[in-house]
Amino acid sequence: MKQYVLGVESTAHTFSVSIVSSDGRILCNAKAVYKPPEGSGIHPFEASQSHIAAAPKVLSEAISSSGVSLTDISAVSYAMGPGLGPCLRVGAVVARTLAASLDVPLVPVNHAIGHIELGCLLTGAADPVVLLVSGGHTMILAYSGNRWRVLGESLDLTLGQLLDQFGRYHGLASPCGRAIEEAGAKSRRYLRLPYTVKGNDVSFSGLLTASKLLLERGEPFHDVSYSIQETAFAMVTEVTERALAFTGKHEVMIVGGVAANRRLAEMMASMAERHAAVLSSVPLEYSGDCGAQIAWTGWLAHKSSIRVPVEESKVQQSWRLDRVDIPWRE
Amino acid sequence: MIQGVWQGLEAVFKVRRPLRYRLPVLDEEIRRQRTLHEAEMIHHSKSAGVAAPYLYDVDPPASTLVMEYVRGDRLKDAIPPRAEGTREVFREFGRNVGLLHRAGIMHGDLTTANVVRRKGGLVFIDFGLSIRTERLEDHAVDLRLIKETLLGAHPQVAPAAMEALNRGYAGVLGEARTKAVFRQLVSIERRGRYARVT
Repeated sequence: MKQYVLGVESTAHTFSVSIVSSDGRILCNAKAVYKPPEGSGIHPFEASQSHIAAAPKVLSEAISSSGVSLTDISAVSYAMGPGLGPCLRVGAVVARTLAASLDVPLVPVNHAIGHIELGCLLTGAADPVVLLVSGGHTMILAYSGNRWRVLGESLDLTLGQLLDQFGRYHGLASPCGRAIEEAGAKSRRYLRLPYTVKGNDVSFSGLLTASKLLLERGEPFHDVSYSIQETAFAMVTEVTERALAFTGKHEVMIVGGVAANRRLAEMMASMAERHAAVLSSVPLEYSGDCGAQIAWTGWLAHKSSIRVPVEESKVQQSWRLDRVDIPWRE
Repeated sequence: MIQGVWQGLEAVFKVRRPLRYRLPVLDEEIRRQRTLHEAEMIHHSKSAGVAAPYLYDVDPPASTLVMEYVRGDRLKDAIPPRAEGTREVFREFGRNVGLLHRAGIMHGDLTTANVVRRKGGLVFIDFGLSIRTERLEDHAVDLRLIKETLLGAHPQVAPAAMEALNRGYAGVLGEARTKAVFRQLVSIERRGRYARVT
């Protein structure tokens, strides 16, 4: 019999509720996104207040648009981490309340695993090398021996942070990826910036400092946007290429908020072609943070009997995805 | 990598081909630089007592190196199934990394794909990301990549291998420096995203 799982996402700027069915259909994916003032980043407390205000509306919108009644839900999952404490707690409260009142299991989900599993569901990727790029993550991963293993990552800033901090320096509000992409598309003038690959890892802090300096020296924003993207994206594409060659896998998948960037996707496509690998990109609606990643991974975990008693359910601000056992994959 | 013959010798032609996803101006500079670096660092690593391929020819404009073809298996394909054999080979691995670091060389790309196991010992290849450095941080980054590769690709042998590597390394650099480098490695890991104490 078909089952339904409701998932709650609230790790950072997005509060989202989704219901999925056990056969992999996403019945709804309602969300509200907190927008910080221009020139600043996410303020965790402000974001959590925005989530609290948005929660009832998002929840009822999710339920009414899903066509499923709450009594049909077999489990409630929530993003237990990693993320911002105040934000995580809002989602946890909503999920606990629902699970307790419906008397169904409460399933903790790692947000990053959620990005990957939803990506696999939507693209049909079976055993990919994954580039996870967002505000919270910059990692190259592959599944082996019961866990997603980190083959490379950023040693300092994430790609999302690099773009956001650069954009905010220019006065934009986070997330700045879209604005930087649009500005960069207007330029073909490359300004030399540090390209830092250390083995399978990348480092962005020097690149950020150098890019800010170029702005200070009066270089136009669109030229620096172009240059920072060309440099940073080539770096992550190169380390992904190394991981692909090293593992000998035949699929590559990009997930996370920065996956929405077309220039990055273009570079990754060119790289994948060199290795005759199939590149999967998650559709825009689902590449960034959303409830569907938590609901779908919640279903997979529920199937493997992963659950937590309501009174013991916590949030974990720091929770690396390579610490999570994955019993549902072979 | 192309196998071929150079002046009658069996050789490998390592051609750094243009990467189409990288801007040409950036790409050419990176390829040229890594080719030159690699030639230089192969030479330095030998002075440090670490086996590396014979270098036959260097062609920077074509970003090509011509090198000895090293017969053997890449370590990633030759990890011994039993802990005992693993310890031996990783102690040797650690000893060699110790020799490089003592000579102020960071290999920069110490994955198990870049070490060839042949009769008589290990041969290190792929010095394209190598730099000359005495910094604790850089040496720790080298070890971090080994650990990352072991945990990522060979999780079943990782703990035993890291321990053996530590001992081989300490045999060259001494306990104090080894402790300091491994402490720095933990500090780098803590800087990693969402890391808890490891």
